[in-house]
Amino acid sequence: MDIGLSESSNSLHQHGGPLPQNRRGRGFSAAFQQWQKRLSFKQHPLEYIILGITLALVLAFTTLIEGFLTVGNLLILAQNSTALAILGCGMAAVIINRGLDLSQISVMVAVSAVFGLMLSNGADYMMAMGAAFILALILGALNGWLVAYIEIPALMSTLATAMLIAGFCRWGILQGEFLVLIPKDLPQVIYISTGKISIFPVSVVIGIVVLIATFILLNLTVLGRMFYAMGDNYIAARLSGLSVRTATIWLYIFSAITAFIAGIIVSSSSGTVDFRIVTNGTMLFEVIMVVVLGGIPLRGGRGGVFNLIIGVVLISVLQNGMTLLNLSGQIQDLVKGLILISAIVIDNYINPKDTETNTQGDL
Amino acid sequence: MLKKYLKRMASLSVATALIAAALTTHQTAEAASAYEGKKVIFIPIAMGITLTEGWSRGMEEQANLNGFGYEVRDAAFNMKTMSEIFSKAINDKPDIIVAHNPTVQLLARQIRQAESQGIKVLQINLQSNQKSTAFVGANWTRIGHDIAEDIVTACGKDSGKSGKVAIIPGQLTAADSVLMNEAAMAVFAEHPEIEVVSNQASNWEPEKARQITATVLQQNPDLCAVFGHWGIHTIGAGNAVKDAGKADSVLVYATGGGNRVICDNIEAGVIDRYWSYNADGQGRDAGTMLRLMMQGAKPAEGEMLEVESPLIVIKKESYKPQQCWDLPAKS
Repeated sequence: MDIGLSESSNSLHQHGGPLPQNRRGRGFSAAFQQWQKRLSFKQHPLEYIILGITLALVLAFTTLIEGFLTVGNLLILAQNSTALAILGCGMAAVIINRGLDLSQISVMVAVSAVFGLMLSNGADYMMAMGAAFILALILGALNGWLVAYIEIPALMSTLATAMLIAGFCRWGILQGEFLVLIPKDLPQVIYISTGKISIFPVSVVIGIVVLIATFILLNLTVLGRMFYAMGDNYIAARLSGLSVRTATIWLYIFSAITAFIAGIIVSSSSGTVDFRIVTNGTMLFEVIMVVVLGGIPLRGGRGGVFNLIIGVVLISVLQNGMTLLNLSGQIQDLVKGLILISAIVIDNYINPKDTETNTQGDL
Repeated sequence: MLKKYLKRMASLSVATALIAAALTTHQTAEAASAYEGKKVIFIPIAMGITLTEGWSRGMEEQANLNGFGYEVRDAAFNMKTMSEIFSKAINDKPDIIVAHNPTVQLLARQIRQAESQGIKVLQINLQSNQKSTAFVGANWTRIGHDIAEDIVTACGKDSGKSGKVAIIPGQLTAADSVLMNEAAMAVFAEHPEIEVVSNQASNWEPEKARQITATVLQQNPDLCAVFGHWGIHTIGAGNAVKDAGKADSVLVYATGGGNRVICDNIEAGVIDRYWSYNADGQGRDAGTMLRLMMQGAKPAEGEMLEVESPLIVIKKESYKPQQCWDLPAKS
């Protein structure tokens, strides 16, 4: 037990993860030192670089675009990025575990297609939600089972399930169609798409709740600590007696649940479930991008919700500013791609591979 | 005398009828032989869209009636797959390939290759840069021009509106977006009071169109019109307008095949004005064009045989349910 956890926890401690069990209770000074480390540039250069870029962009857009830094625009920005942030929560947990969930968008479309079809066929709202949720649990468990028990690398297994789910969704659920219309006159749908709690859109509040839940999961639960330990050193975590297989299944179920929540929000807002998000869209690319940009390395074991928020804020500010500047989609993709490549290069430069990080399964 | 005359007339009528019948039979036989053993391959961007389903129904109906082979090879929204499917179709040497071009460039080289090998290519609704034997579809320039003129009337001088317009194409390199954008911008250029505040492609996705519209609306609360290039993705834009409580002040324009889904959205106040090219009618036109091509119809040098789809303009204020068509349920 001591070998695996202490090694991984030590690394977490160094890179800003929460305090491990055996280091709790050392008093105020220890906690202060920990927070000092968390906030130090030396420990987290990439996060500071991304924050700097974001601030520079905000400054530039505020100068160039009248009304950029207004409450109204910031709320629209938050609303447009809610689905991305929610999906990012699932993807972040998976990447911290040194996995990857390429099926996340397929799951999102499949469950929201079930939700939409049931609603348009007159099913009760909660029943449609329940059926979609159960499907999400099944698909998440399938991913987890393939990775944990069949031991197919996450990249390959989720790629395969992404295709399987996309095919099943198109021919099994949508019967060859590609679009499901959501009845926008249902009060629950109207509430999610236009409702407000104080000044905040309901979808944004849901996004904040998911972020808090993810923070709690990763930092205050045994399961979350296991994700870090497995991502940091899977073999050590397994040899230390952690139930890594069960944890892996829960991990992919969590990712599928985030896909379910994002799917409900996206379909309620746009009034459609569009299968082409799977085949045409760049959503999966954007989800991985916000996670990696925020400073959660693909090699796993590090990072947290704060990193995800940094990544989401950067991409959302960029997207909103470029939309208001009326830049074409191609230019927007180009800029986003350049920023992702730059972040990866900077990350590799700042965190070069060493004997600890250059282990099996590195992407 | 009269009896003799009547007898002669009767004989003449019988003879004429026999000659006409013989000629008709000859023509029918000739036509039938024109179709015999012929094969058509339809390569759509994706089946499952009412557009492609409507077209395919019209072409398959003609194939069944006239006895030529008909096959659909679905690219399922995968552009790389579409190019491969087209190459495979050329190798299979059908008589006609029906191409639904996602962009003006993607299949250009392969269309030229097919035509050079004697395989006629019928382009349906979305043209390539490369001309081929025939084209059946909408006149995008006309639609873009007409919608722009309508926007000028609704938002331009003396309308009391801001003149601000957001354009949401599907994909900037798709034929419809290229041609409608060009035509609309040419009209707007003559009306300086019209300001295009946004012209960003949605990649045909309703959610992306919704996000663009929500952002643009926040920045331009006095927006007058949204011109979505395709009805389906414009549903997302229309919902953004509706959710912002601006359904009464912002006009949402769209174009498309005019299926029931669109009429439902016009009825729900999501789309205000819609230029329909009636995909069901296009399917019938495509079927007829296939027969003509098999009978040997040829375009003038450097031209294409063309059938332009008639347009139906559906407006919220004068909307009638019968302006849209229904795709029959599959048996």
